[in-house]
Formats: sequence, C-alpha cells, structure tokens
Amino acid sequence: MRRSRVLGIGIRKIENMGSRDSILGRVKANQPEQRELPEDHAGPEGVSGDLTPRFISVVEAIGGAVFLVSGFDRIVTILREQFPEVRKVVSGCSQLGSFAAATTLAAGLGDPHGLADVDLAILPAHFGVAENGACWLTEGRMVERVLPLITQNLVLVVRRDAIVATMHQAYARIAEIEAGGSYGFAAFIAGPSKTADIEQSLVLGAHGPKSLTVFLLDEHLSDAGFF
Amino acid sequence: MNKDHAALAADFNKDEARVDWHDETLWFVRAKRDRAAAQVPDWEVLRETASRIKDNVLSNLSEYLRRFEAEATRNGIVVHWAADAAEHNEIVLSILRNHQVDRMVKSKSMLTEECQLNEFLHANGVEVVDTDLGERVVQLAEEPPSHIVLPCIHWKKEEIGELFHQHLGTPKGNADPQFLTHAARLHLREKFLTRRAALTGVNFAVAETGEFVVCTNEGNADMGAHLADVHIACMGIEKLVPERRHLGVFLRLLTRSATGQPITTYSSHFRKPRPGQEMHIVLVDNGRSTHLGRKDFRNSLKCIRCAACFNTCPVYRRSGGHSYHTAVAGPIGSILSPNLDLKKYSDLPFASTLCGSCSNVCPVKIDIHEQLYKWRQVIVQEGNAPAGKTAAMKTMSWVLSNPGVYHKAGRMGRWFMLNVPFTVKNRFNAWFHQRELPDAPKQSFGDWYKKNRKHG
Amino acid sequence: MRVGLFIPCYVDQFYPQVGIATLELLEKSGCEVVYPPNQTCCGQPMANSGFEHLTKDCTALFVKNFAEFDYIVSPSGSCVLHIKEHAHENGGLHDKIFELVEFLTDVLKITAVDASFPYRVGLHQSCHGQRGLHLAQMTELMAPPFSKPMQLLNMVKDIQLIELDRKDECCGFGGTFCVTEEAVSVKMGKDRVADHLKHCAEYITGSDMSCLMHMEGILKRQGSAVRVKHIAEILNNNHE
Repeated sequence: MRRSRVLGIGIRKIENMGSRDSILGRVKANQPEQRELPEDHAGPEGVSGDLTPRFISVVEAIGGAVFLVSGFDRIVTILREQFPEVRKVVSGCSQLGSFAAATTLAAGLGDPHGLADVDLAILPAHFGVAENGACWLTEGRMVERVLPLITQNLVLVVRRDAIVATMHQAYARIAEIEAGGSYGFAAFIAGPSKTADIEQSLVLGAHGPKSLTVFLLDEHLSDAGFF
Repeated sequence: MNKDHAALAADFNKDEARVDWHDETLWFVRAKRDRAAAQVPDWEVLRETASRIKDNVLSNLSEYLRRFEAEATRNGIVVHWAADAAEHNEIVLSILRNHQVDRMVKSKSMLTEECQLNEFLHANGVEVVDTDLGERVVQLAEEPPSHIVLPCIHWKKEEIGELFHQHLGTPKGNADPQFLTHAARLHLREKFLTRRAALTGVNFAVAETGEFVVCTNEGNADMGAHLADVHIACMGIEKLVPERRHLGVFLRLLTRSATGQPITTYSSHFRKPRPGQEMHIVLVDNGRSTHLGRKDFRNSLKCIRCAACFNTCPVYRRSGGHSYHTAVAGPIGSILSPNLDLKKYSDLPFASTLCGSCSNVCPVKIDIHEQLYKWRQVIVQEGNAPAGKTAAMKTMSWVLSNPGVYHKAGRMGRWFMLNVPFTVKNRFNAWFHQRELPDAPKQSFGDWYKKNRKHG
Repeated sequence: MRVGLFIPCYVDQFYPQVGIATLELLEKSGCEVVYPPNQTCCGQPMANSGFEHLTKDCTALFVKNFAEFDYIVSPSGSCVLHIKEHAHENGGLHDKIFELVEFLTDVLKITAVDASFPYRVGLHQSCHGQRGLHLAQMTELMAPPFSKPMQLLNMVKDIQLIELDRKDECCGFGGTFCVTEEAVSVKMGKDRVADHLKHCAEYITGSDMSCLMHMEGILKRQGSAVRVKHIAEILNNNHE
C-alpha cells in the first residue's frame, strides 16, 4: 500500500493524494447545510476608562509582577534590584544601554540551544490585554523564538497606552500591525509558566520562565509616586 | 470480557474516600470556571457566537480545509492527510525516519492518544517523552491520562512523589508539588535541549492564514518546537476556525471553561517554520468525516476539548476517566466514541443521568445530553442492548399500554412487597444493595381516587 | 378550567399521598380536576433506556386519556419533559401539559398558600424540571437567578429554607441508571443527602418524587430521622 518511506517529501505527498481526495470528498458530501457566520462580536459593552488598573491586577493575579515606569533608566534600576544575581542577560530592547551590554551574548546566536543558560530576557511587546494580562509579541521582537521560553526569567516592556480591553480588540490591533505581511511566529504571553497538575496545587515555573515582569512605559509619569 | 463503564465505576467506588477526593477536586475546577465566567459580562453571547462560528465551519469544512492547506503550504508548512489512525501514525513515523530521529518530545495531543501514537512509535523503536507534567506522570506510570486537560487528576501528590522517587530519583517521601515540579522541570529540560524532533497538538487552525495555535500553561509545546529541527503538529480536521480574528472568541472561552484562568500562559501562533526547521502538520480524519454526516451527532465536532463537561459531570467525577475505557472520556467522549466503535462504546451513553449540566457549560453549545439520549436509541436499534433488557422493555411496553394489566401488576407488586418482602428485599435487587425500598401503601392513588371522588 | 391530573406510575403505586396533595392543591386553587382512571405511565423509563421506539402505544394511550382537557398537570418534572420532548406523536399536548410548580406560578399565578411548615427544609432541584422545564435558573449559566419552587415555598409560614453547597447537582436517580450504574447512583445520592444533612435539614423537598424516593432510600438505610416530602404536600399543608 505505502511506498518506501525514504523517498523525499514530494513523493510522499503524492502518496497522500489518495487520502486527501477521499477525505475532502467525504467531508464535502457530508457537511451540513450552509450556516452563516454570526455578526461580529466586539466584546462587552460599556468598557471605558483607564485599562491600566485592570491589566495590573490581572497580571498580579496570574503570578506576574508589574511596574509602571516613565523610562528605561527606571527599568534598569528596578531590574538591578529585582535580579541582583543574574549573569546572562539577553535583551531585545536597544534602550537598555549598559545593562544589557554589560553581559555577553553567547556566540552563535543562530542556534537557539545557545540560549539555554540565559537568566534574564527583556523583550518589547506590542500591546497588552487588560482582561487576561497577556502581552503580544511577534518573533521579530523575540530575538529567537525560544528565548521567551528558555530564559529563567522573562521581562516584557509594553507601552501603557498600548493596552487593549479584550481579545477582540487584540486581534483588531494585530490586523493593523500585520497589514501587508504576517509573522512567522507570535504569541500571547500571560504570566510566568505554571502548572497545577499535581493535585491542583498551583506552581509557578514549569518549563518556561519562573517569573514574568511587565514594565508599563508611560513617559508622562513623574518619577515620584508610581508603583 | 472487557469491563464496561458500570463495572469499572463500581470498582472505582470501592474506595469511597478516594471518590470523595476525586469528586471534590474536579468540582473545585468547575467552581473556578464559574467564577471566571461570571467575570465576563458577555459570557453567554460569547458561547452563542462560538457555537455559530463552529456551525459555519462544519457547513463549509471542505472549503476551509482546502484554504488552510493552500495557505499553510505557501508559508512553508508541509501538509499531510491521514484517513485514519494507522495512517497518521505511519506519517509521523516516516517523517521521523526521514530525519533519522529515534527520540522525540511530545506536548499534549488528545488526537495522538486517540491514534495510540506512543505505543506505535515505541514498537517501531522511537522513544517518546511526554512533556506536559501531567502526561509525563501517567507516562511514567504506564497508564493513559484520565482527563483531557488534567491528565493525572486521579493521582495524589504522595503517589506522584513515590513515582518521581522511582523514576527521577527525588527523595523518598517528598510530596511537595513545588519541589516535584522543579524536579520535572530539570528532567524535561534535558530532553528539550537534546531532542531534534517535537510533536505538538493543535488547539485551533486558521483557514484564512494557514497558521495554527497551541495553548499551554507550562510552555512545553514551545520549548520542544523551538529547539527541534522538525516540528510535527497533529490535528483533527474539525479544529479549524475561519479567520484569525475568530481566535479572539475562542481564546476568551477556552481556558476559562477548562481551568478558570482567563487565558493559558502561552497562546502560540505558528505560521512558518523557523529558518532551517521543517514544520509538518498532519490533518486527521479517523471517522470525523463520517460523523459529519450524522444529523443528530455532528455537533459534537464543534468540541474545542476544554473538558468543562468532565468537570461538571457528577458521574465522571465519581467514576474517573479510566471507567470510560476510551481516549476522550466524560460526556463529550461518550458521544464521540460510539462513532469510532458502536459496539465497544455502547455502554458510554448510558453512563449518565441526562442531568443536562454538561450542555450548559459547553462553550460551543454542543447539545451533549440530547445526543446521549439519541445515541441510546441508535445503540438499541442496532441490536446492542443486552437480550434481557430488550425482553424486559417489551414487557414493560405491553404492561404500560394496557391499563388493566398495569393496575393488576401494581397491586401484585405492592402485595408482595408488603407480605413477602424478601422477594424484593434481597441481594439480587440492585436497588436494595444500599437503599431501602419505599413502603408499599395498601392502596394506589387510583384506588383512593375511585373511593373518594365521584368522577370516573 | 378543566385540568387532567397525570400521576406518574411510581407515585400512583408508592406515594399516593403526593397525588392526593396535588389534587387537593389544584382544587383549592379553583380548578376542576379530573383523574383519567386508565392512565398508566408516560413511557419515559423505556425511552431513556433506548427503547423510544416501543413507546408508541404508551403515548397513544396517554393522548387518548388526556386530549379532552384544557390543561394537563403532573407532580413530576421529568414525566412532563418526556411528553413534551420525546413523545413525538403527543397530539399537540405539549402545549397543554405542565408540571405542578410551573402551573401554580405561571398559569394560576398563585400568590399565597394556606400552609405552615415550621421545619428546616432543603430544596432538591430535580434536573429535568430545572434544566428541561426551566423551573429555576441553572448555576452553570451566567444569567439572573430565579426559582419557581422557592417562590412557592417562600409562601409557606414558618418554613426555614436552608442553603446548600451544591445547589443543583443531580441526585443520581436517572431512571434505570439507578440500578444499571448502582454504585455511582448511590454515591451521588449519598452526596446529595450529605449536603442537606450538613446544613441541618429536617426535610428534603422537591418536585420529582423519583429523586426523593432515591434519597429517602438512602436516608432510611442510614437510619436518619430526616424525611422527604414532595413540594405538593408542603404547599397543601400535609403534616404527618
């Protein structure tokens, strides 16, 4: 029935044509009468006002930390306080100046395995989602796809005015960002990695980072009087 | 003779304290779901929207599948089609062999459970490491998962501690979830870093863009895929959504329904392979296209595998996933499995009181409890009812269609209960094992009515 | 209005007092009530066991007995639901058939009952009545709460209605399920009973005698002093 498996991809696909056509044929024959898509749903009505407090409370509820800051120098100060013992730091944010430059990036960055010993990764996210504390970033901002996962601690920097209310607004925003092209990989990241597989006991730090810190950038903030 | 749900559930119920623990744990998850849903003002609108999007998907499935294939192929993903479980397994094996890979990491995929992929690969010399913590636990224990989202919900932490002590060398007696999770982190990190092939499931695939989404809390799907030379994604053909924006609806519903979280930690959107990587997707039929043609049952193909129905089902909570002897258990499994093998799974639609709670928690509004009822009719009509039951039902039908016979039978039954109680109060009467029978009154309501009211 | 009284088979045989209470309650509310003597059963036990195709004669007998009435009322949510949804040749009776509680609240719209019941009472929400006939809001849905049985019980003097941990979990009776899956059925019943006992119920009430019969069987086996009482009996001021 099946020909040799050591032949290349092209031959394998021809082998599969039989199944492809029979599956599609059966599906087409059996699919029900046309049902139209529902009207667009844009989320709950009457959501207005500053989304920051909601975003912050959700991120904290899911095990992340949030800092509202006016600029990158504040970020560096806080990172030095929060992560005093980090050795290897990789940053996707050019504004971190000496903090990231003080550490050495591993040679051969093209191989994702080289990032296995990263303690701290700082990446810029496109926007945040208030209803679930998630941040969105595409692979262009990840340095490497594996970096946001393989690092022991993840830091995301997002503009405070780039928080949207729900996932509906999120995908509208993604459509704007991606107009004229589209990412090869992207992700919503909400909090540190976690599991509750052992008797429903929540443990932060499963296979991805053990911690997630979000910096909300707002240049209009004064240095005094923020979180 | 394999045991059916009733027998397996009876075994499960021998340890009442354990049943209480299992039931309380899953009810806790149901309660978390309720709290999360209550925070979403448009929750019921979302359910209706998701349901109608999935109705649209099923009615245009062939077109959406073609579109998905075209887009994914254009983006550099190799698309495969598997008519059944055996073909799926062969395809996965052939991809691995092409890359001379004999060790692979795998993140959660109920489809691969359905196809029994692990056993097949093992028999063909390929080591598979399940990287979801719950799945790793059951893999080390050499048993199937009992829940599609919480694979080892039936394991106590002391038992996991003992298992890890044996397999991972953790200290004996350590049952601390934090410690055990950390041990698993180190153990599995080594696998991620050394395996060249990773297999993941697919939560949603988008016809418009050819991308697919994988949702995890642990990050294990990403750790595997982003470090591997070959990423194989396996997907049931029904897992499509029409456009990327529809993901907003489903991602708002999925995790709240499953665990009560607003969203999983990672919702990873895979559209193109990493430069230098090969990405494959296997589209699997395995009976779905046939099921699509069943007017009464096709709605079950809308399922997004959240397991909310498991957590709310009072029978599942008190019988455990293994009592269903199928890859996907619980209420949804009871209406999907008969499609795969009517005879083998003919007990499952009867493992229910038809309470209807499942249908109410389903984020895509599958009429689960109504399908359970309808499957019962099919199973009996196809000749799968036990002979004794059929005879009893025919008798019942005759008695209940003949008032004279019914009245006489009722009088006789009550006479026996009153005067010769051991005819019913004995160990052959299943009711009587753990319950008292109702007292038999001297007269029925009908008798009373005749004496006390002039009518009739 | 002429009401045909439909009494479930097991109520007829084992709990005639529930039929009597239902009859008296309806008469007190001003209905002319008739009990067709040749009624037997709605056919649900067969249909739910997969033998719907054997229920035609049963359904035909039901239609024959009840076609003449303005309303058909029954103290059983599950039987009423069966007639409405699974008795396919029901002669259009599905518009006229009501479970007792909803008949009192929605058709007769009663606002008072002449009853007192000075006891701690737990309300068991029978599934078919609640989720099938919408006698009360379901905890799974994000929707405003309401409860027709509670509405009626709140009219009873001195009654103390208790809270439960799980307001609408199934008791496990489920028709033939109660014997075919005996272990799970009993465990479910024990857990329901335990919830009521935890909150110090003296009586458990509800609108389906099948659920109450199942819980009563467990209570008696446990030697408990807690009794079951159909809502019709409480509303009709029936005491022991």
